[in-house]
Amino acid sequence: MFKRPSSRRKSPHGEHAELPLVPILDTMVTLIGFLLFTTSFLGIVSIESPLPQANPNEVKDELKQKEKPLQLTLSFREKDVEIWSPFSKIEPRAISNTQAGEPDTKAIHDALIEVKKKFPLEDSAVIVPKKDSPYDGMVAVMDAVRTLEATDPPIYIKNEKTGIDEPIKSLFPKILFGNLLGDS
Amino acid sequence: MAGHSIRGRRGRRKINKAFELQLTSMMDVLVIIVVFLLKSYNTSTNSFTTAPGLKLPISASQDSPNDSLQVVVTPESLTLDNERVLDFVQTAASAGSSEANYMFKQSDLDEGGKRIIPLYDALIKAREKTELLLAKSKVRVDGKPAPFEGVLAVQADKRVKYDTIRKIMYTAGTAGYKVFRFLAMKRET
Repeated sequence: MFKRPSSRRKSPHGEHAELPLVPILDTMVTLIGFLLFTTSFLGIVSIESPLPQANPNEVKDELKQKEKPLQLTLSFREKDVEIWSPFSKIEPRAISNTQAGEPDTKAIHDALIEVKKKFPLEDSAVIVPKKDSPYDGMVAVMDAVRTLEATDPPIYIKNEKTGIDEPIKSLFPKILFGNLLGDS
Repeated sequence: MAGHSIRGRRGRRKINKAFELQLTSMMDVLVIIVVFLLKSYNTSTNSFTTAPGLKLPISASQDSPNDSLQVVVTPESLTLDNERVLDFVQTAASAGSSEANYMFKQSDLDEGGKRIIPLYDALIKAREKTELLLAKSKVRVDGKPAPFEGVLAVQADKRVKYDTIRKIMYTAGTAGYKVFRFLAMKRET
């Protein structure tokens, strides 16, 4: 006894049902045109820095404060970058430039992680570049000061609302220039 | 003669066969292109483009810049919103050299060489225009026009020295601009 052949095969509708590819192609071509027209392939990012402003009232308030601020400062010098605090909140540390004469961003970043561990709530840093510091070196230092890499050890701060320790996402994101009025 | 007839038959067979476009493989290609474009699609609203001959520094920042007034420092000139504000001094050494000197004319500087006069004038003009637009706008904050934000994007070649950037920042500060956005190329991760 042979099994009865399937009736589906013999059905007149069983012929190759074709997907209407042409309208799909039309849609795709339109979509590609739109995406090509609107996509920006240039990955431009920005680093924000507010203009330092002296508010006399704030200065008076700060002077009244018992606890002096950290005011983390990075001074570019001829052969190194000094990390220090005008209120002696941290031990000054000089980080030698690389052999190419550029700031050693890796060592600066590592030193700043140690500072951040001591002052986890601090979010600003002052940079004091030299007159002839190149712009790309400045941007590299600003990156080292601001960003926290995935490979860096996690630093936690307590969320006041939830009471849970949360990892911080950036080191010192607020960067100010300390010598806009100076001549050095 | 016989060979000719066989060739003729082959030719006929080719002509009779319906020509079909390979839509399936074309669809594959288009799907790959669409996926790539969607993956790299950037929804940011800025219209910043780099000026020719300008090499921006590379940054690990993830912040996408919003549209704002933009000052561009090229090796030859300083432009504000695509309008040339001033030309740098071209010396015999800098002409034809890859190293630009970014030297200002003495007549373009005041306040002890800290402020760039043509840039200050252009920034004040741009500020007045923005404030006028804000005053005419229906957007109100506590019944008053929205305040002037004073954001200035700075696009400069990576070889520019800090002294030039500082002059621009000082000038912008005196013209009432309070926030600077330094533009850079995103570092590939």
